[in-house]
Amino acid sequence: MEALDKLKNDWKKNGGNYPKFSEQEIYAMLHKGSSSIVKWILIISILEFLFWIGLSFLMKDSQGSQRINNMHIDYIITPITILNYVIILYFSILFYINYKKISATDSAKKLMSNILKTRKVVSNYIFVMILYSLIGVVIAFILLFMYDQELVKMIHESEEKGNLGWFYLIYIVLALVATAIILLIYWLFYKLIYGILLKRLKRNYDELKKLDF
Amino acid sequence: MDLVMEKSFVQQLQENQNLIHKICRLYTNGEDAHKDLFQEITIQLWKAYPKFRGDSKFTTWAYRVGLNTAITLYRKKSRTVNTIEFDNTLHKINQEEYNYEEEEHLKLLYQAVHQLNDIDKALVFMYLEDKDYGEIAETLGISEVNARVKMNRIKGKLKKILNP
Repeated sequence: MEALDKLKNDWKKNGGNYPKFSEQEIYAMLHKGSSSIVKWILIISILEFLFWIGLSFLMKDSQGSQRINNMHIDYIITPITILNYVIILYFSILFYINYKKISATDSAKKLMSNILKTRKVVSNYIFVMILYSLIGVVIAFILLFMYDQELVKMIHESEEKGNLGWFYLIYIVLALVATAIILLIYWLFYKLIYGILLKRLKRNYDELKKLDF
Repeated sequence: MDLVMEKSFVQQLQENQNLIHKICRLYTNGEDAHKDLFQEITIQLWKAYPKFRGDSKFTTWAYRVGLNTAITLYRKKSRTVNTIEFDNTLHKINQEEYNYEEEEHLKLLYQAVHQLNDIDKALVFMYLEDKDYGEIAETLGISEVNARVKMNRIKGKLKKILNP
């Protein structure tokens, strides 16, 4: 007899030997917290959305944006701010729609693909926000050099002293280092959280996809 | 969700709980992990219950949600080590019906199944439960032909694990 059929015989005979939970025990289980991967993805994604929203509020009150405000260039700042909110709104709606599609009654493959899609929305959001921030930083720098009285004064002073090249160099290096640090932190966070969370799901999804070549 | 619904859900689950125990048996090692997965499946079933219209059988529906939870949704807590002990307690009750040699062979078989990956286990589980290939394919979201091919490969894999 084939191994699996032997197992099947035993499997059926063993049917009654499992522990039996009472209705009370099942009630108690219903009201305990789930440790489902979808719940974790939801929590982390909301935190990621809040992180960028919080960051834009923090930026508003920072010294840098005060200086930009003093330049009276609302025709540039307003569209950029609106764009920020449009991006957040667009991705949160997309996230919500995809999140709602996740259903444990779908086939395993569809369920996995829907979870990965939902996750993808958040990673796209983060990619767009990083891009947005980088462009924002570049624009802010250009504006500062063009309009900021203090900076223009500093540039003139450096010019007189003959070390204008150094001045620019230090500015650019500082900006690059700051960007690199932010990106590195994000990348580490990403690898760590999603590496742990999605490793098994990805492996299983790939296995199923491999079956339907 | 109202209390009447909760009551009927708990009753149906209590009556059909063996099916969930069987999934837990394949996917976990040890009593704590078993109970933990059982609880997660219960929670997921309850969450999906409003969508259960009763046009399919409770068990058919529960199979799918249970397997999906085991394969995809469930986040394992720290691994427990008391693997074999629990499996033995499940087994001992039937011991008088088997001779020692057969008992040992079955134990090896269960251990071999435990070594398979999550997807293979799902196929084995449904095979043991006498599900036809149509249902296996639909539950996993693959074609029926591929489900058959895969099942044959798993049989080969098990043979290899048993006779290295």
